[in-house]
Formats: sequence, structure tokens, C-alpha cells
Amino acid sequence: MKRLAVLCGLACVLYAQQFKFNLEHLAGKAGEKVELDLNQSVLQFAAAAFSGKDADAAKVKKVLSGLEGIYLRHFEFKRDGEYSKADLDQIRNQLKAPEWQRIVGVTSSSDRENVEVWLRTENGKVSGAAVIAADPRSLMVANIVGAIDLATLMELGGQFGLPKLEPRKR
Amino acid sequence: MDWLEEQLKEALARKEPSADFDARVRRKTVATMPRPVQRWIAAAAAVVVLVGGGAMYRRHQEEQAKEEVMLAMRLVGSKLNRVQAQVQAMGEGR
Repeated sequence: MKRLAVLCGLACVLYAQQFKFNLEHLAGKAGEKVELDLNQSVLQFAAAAFSGKDADAAKVKKVLSGLEGIYLRHFEFKRDGEYSKADLDQIRNQLKAPEWQRIVGVTSSSDRENVEVWLRTENGKVSGAAVIAADPRSLMVANIVGAIDLATLMELGGQFGLPKLEPRKR
Repeated sequence: MDWLEEQLKEALARKEPSADFDARVRRKTVATMPRPVQRWIAAAAAVVVLVGGGAMYRRHQEEQAKEEVMLAMRLVGSKLNRVQAQVQAMGEGR
């Protein structure tokens, strides 16, 4: 019965996620790790906590209301080479066109970090995002599921750790 | 003086109550309160405990969920900041 409950829980997580992480084998090797599986009900709880008259709290609430889940794995290793290129490739292989499009990918030669941002669109609307960030000693994969309100996200730039985007000068 | 001390000692000496003292007190206390009132008080106390406990648990869950969302935003945001810095550096280099 317990096993069935675990399987059902796992099935729910995988159903909600738009791609599979398959990174469980890295958890044991990591010195530090963050594993977040925030489904819609957890996000609703979080939205309720962003209360008050603060305009930014209202914007966060608005962004969260459109989301169905946030799934994230972040591993930090003590040595180089604890994860392989195949670990990243098996994720990238799931992010296929036409739904998924890589909107930006940067590689820093100084700290050998590679960051990719992918967007998933359905009927012209953003329905998910993926962020893959890897350097020799850390790996982060995030899947943000649901309607992402990019305009409101931009307004939140500079806060909550989000980058501040300046309006383009013409 | 000895007489007074004796009298005081005798008056203040610890005396054990009779065996049925507890039962007699309980009987009298309960008998003075009408039964429906007791039930209402018990029900009200249960409701207060349940509602209060439930609200506290819900608040705790909301705060925990908020912390987790903030952690996710910080982690993803830090990577997006790197992307932005890199893209801006490339733009300025042109």
C-alpha cells in the first residue's frame, strides 16, 4: 500500500513536470543539494503568504496564480566531473521543437559555466520554461510549468533575485 | 505562651480529608452546572482548539511554501542574472 502511494506520488510529479530530470543518481555525490517539487497546491499556499498591500507581493501572487508547478534540482559537488555530459544531454533531448525553443544559451570561458534558457509555447502562449545551468562543480535544472506572465515577471526585476531588465532604448 | 503555641499547632496541623471528599466536591460542582451548558462549553472549546490549530497549521504551510518559492526564485534568478550580464557584456563589446 505504501509502495503504491509512493508510485502514485511519483506519477503525479512526473505528470506535472514537462520533462524528466533523471538525476537521482547525482544526489548521493553532491555535497549540497536542493530538490524542490512545488505543485499547484503548494504554489497556492505560497501565493496566500504573499499578502498585504505591497504592490510587489500582488505581482508575485499574480505570477504564481498562473503556474502549475516549479520543479528544481540543484547540486553542488566537491570535485569536478561528478556529473557527465550524458546527464545534460538526456534532459536536452526531451526539450524538442516545436514546443520547446532555446531562447538563450551562454557559456562563460572564465568559470566554465554554461546556462541555457528554454521556453515552451502552446498556441502562441508561454506554457513553461526550463533553465539548465552547469559548471564543473555545480548543476541546476529547473522546470517552471504553467502560464508564465513575462510582463509581470519583468516588473519584478531587481527583486527576489530576478534580474532587472531595462526597457530597450530606441 | 506555650499554651498559645499548642493551640496554634493544633489548629494549623495538616489534616487528611475523608476518603470520599474528592467525589463529594465533584458531585456538587457538576450538579450546580446544567448539563447542556457543560456540553456547549466542551463543544465550543473543541471548536476553538480545532479552528485555532488548523489556522496555525495552514499559516505554517503557507510560510513554508513561500520560503520554498523564494528559494527557487533566488536560484533561478542567480542564473538568469549570469545570462543577462553575459549578454550585456557581449552587447557592449560590439
